[in-house]
Amino acid sequence: MQGVNRSNYVESEGKRTGRRALLTAAGLIAAGSVPAAVALLEGTTNGSGRKRARWVKDVDRPTLGEKTAEFKRFSGSNIFELHKQLKTERDGVGALEAEQAAKAKRLAGWMRQSKPGFRLPDHQLSEGAWTLMKSIKPGEGLLSWTRVAVSTPDELGVARHTAPPEEMAQTVKVAARLYGAGLVGIAPMNESYVNLRQARRDIVFEDVTVPAVTDTKVVIPRTMKWVVAIAIPMDLDLLSRAPTSLGDAATGLGYSHSAFTVASLAEFIRGLGYQAIPSVNDTALSVPFAIEAGIGELSRLNRLVTPEFGPAVRLCKVFTDLPMACDTPVDFGLVQFCRKCKKCAESCPSGALSFDDEPSFKTKGPWNNTGHKAWFEDSYLCFQHWQQVDNGCGICLASCPYTKAARAWIHDVVKATASVAPVTDGLFRVLDDAFGYGRQHDPEQWWAKDTPHGVRG
Amino acid sequence: MPNSGSTVSITIRKRPWWFWTFAGLWALLEVLIVQTAVASVRESEYRAAAMSWTAVAVLAAIGVLGCLFQGRSRV
Repeated sequence: MQGVNRSNYVESEGKRTGRRALLTAAGLIAAGSVPAAVALLEGTTNGSGRKRARWVKDVDRPTLGEKTAEFKRFSGSNIFELHKQLKTERDGVGALEAEQAAKAKRLAGWMRQSKPGFRLPDHQLSEGAWTLMKSIKPGEGLLSWTRVAVSTPDELGVARHTAPPEEMAQTVKVAARLYGAGLVGIAPMNESYVNLRQARRDIVFEDVTVPAVTDTKVVIPRTMKWVVAIAIPMDLDLLSRAPTSLGDAATGLGYSHSAFTVASLAEFIRGLGYQAIPSVNDTALSVPFAIEAGIGELSRLNRLVTPEFGPAVRLCKVFTDLPMACDTPVDFGLVQFCRKCKKCAESCPSGALSFDDEPSFKTKGPWNNTGHKAWFEDSYLCFQHWQQVDNGCGICLASCPYTKAARAWIHDVVKATASVAPVTDGLFRVLDDAFGYGRQHDPEQWWAKDTPHGVRG
Repeated sequence: MPNSGSTVSITIRKRPWWFWTFAGLWALLEVLIVQTAVASVRESEYRAAAMSWTAVAVLAAIGVLGCLFQGRSRV
């Protein structure tokens, strides 16, 4: 120790020990802050059993979709029927048929040439994914408005299941998740969201206890005061290959899972001793019910965007007379973000989406319901583009910055920051582009993946 | 031995509070970006993964340089 002041050395040793302790503490804090931050983002479960991130705030009314007295029940025209009518009006009789024949010929050519994303296996993968959805009809079979096979409590010799509304909501939500729901919420029935007609029959509300489908009308009992709104996540691995047959497979799979989920949930509810009507795209508008059930917010796409899956979901619902606690709409800063972002509108090859800074009451055509505020889309242009690819497109869904697989923590950090600091929205849009998100993934690579695919993407 | 019996005094200055603040932030950022890089590969977002790994390397270099610089000024 010669040459070194011993007292200084001892003091230095003491400091070193202190620093070591401090360093250890700092390390522990840093290590602990990560799960703490994750827990903060993870959020808590509210009274009706819904678990959301803390940055998804419950609000009294939807952030977009303000309605006027002009808002009324939608005709319920099928988009394909509407398109056929418009096409005939604009391009003459037989125009749609000629367009579809050209499309079929073009698709066959792509299959013969093995064009990536449109090869025979790609196309048939999509056809397979659509199987369940294409084999159902509203009010019939799997989507029957009365029980399919379940035994009622009467038949089992027990009383029907009763519980407080909060507990009932929790029970139904857990069951819905098991059957495939990515997000589920409860909304009150709103007759103005129910279509006027379905398959050339009027949809009416009557003071009856059992729903009925007759040759002339379909009857929804007024006792059905609750709607279980459900979002089925689409497979992001497939959707990121849009607009190809692979991208269309994500849509078909989402719809087929929707049919399975609502059919199963309706049977579960009937088995508890109540009435239930399963519905995918039929019977009523899914988006306003999903908004009121707090599943997401209305976006620039004029579609629902969820905090967890973005717009990459398919919506479906079950109407029931089972009393449940309702959820409230949510606000996670989406409308502000949509004002600045516009990535979906820029990505849309047909120019169908609005570039307006502000949403308005001005609709773009008969496919839009009047009397509510939105960024309205030109569905005719959108549908025209569908004729250029396989069944559907999906680029807008894939390009939205909220469409992210939930694997990277950074996505939650970005979404949480955007929800509380709209000033960062422009920056996040720039970074989303810089990091290459929303670009089409190579269709051929999908078949080479050795990981199991599932609906979660 | 002309210096025999003389005393040499070395004072090691305590690291300032802001050093630990920056170190904590740096560690947190590194963990976040490494996780993003790994997750991006699994999400097949290869451009995002490449940019994240670059950010990890740059941040690590800044950390090492910062420690060296701060270490020299302590004695």
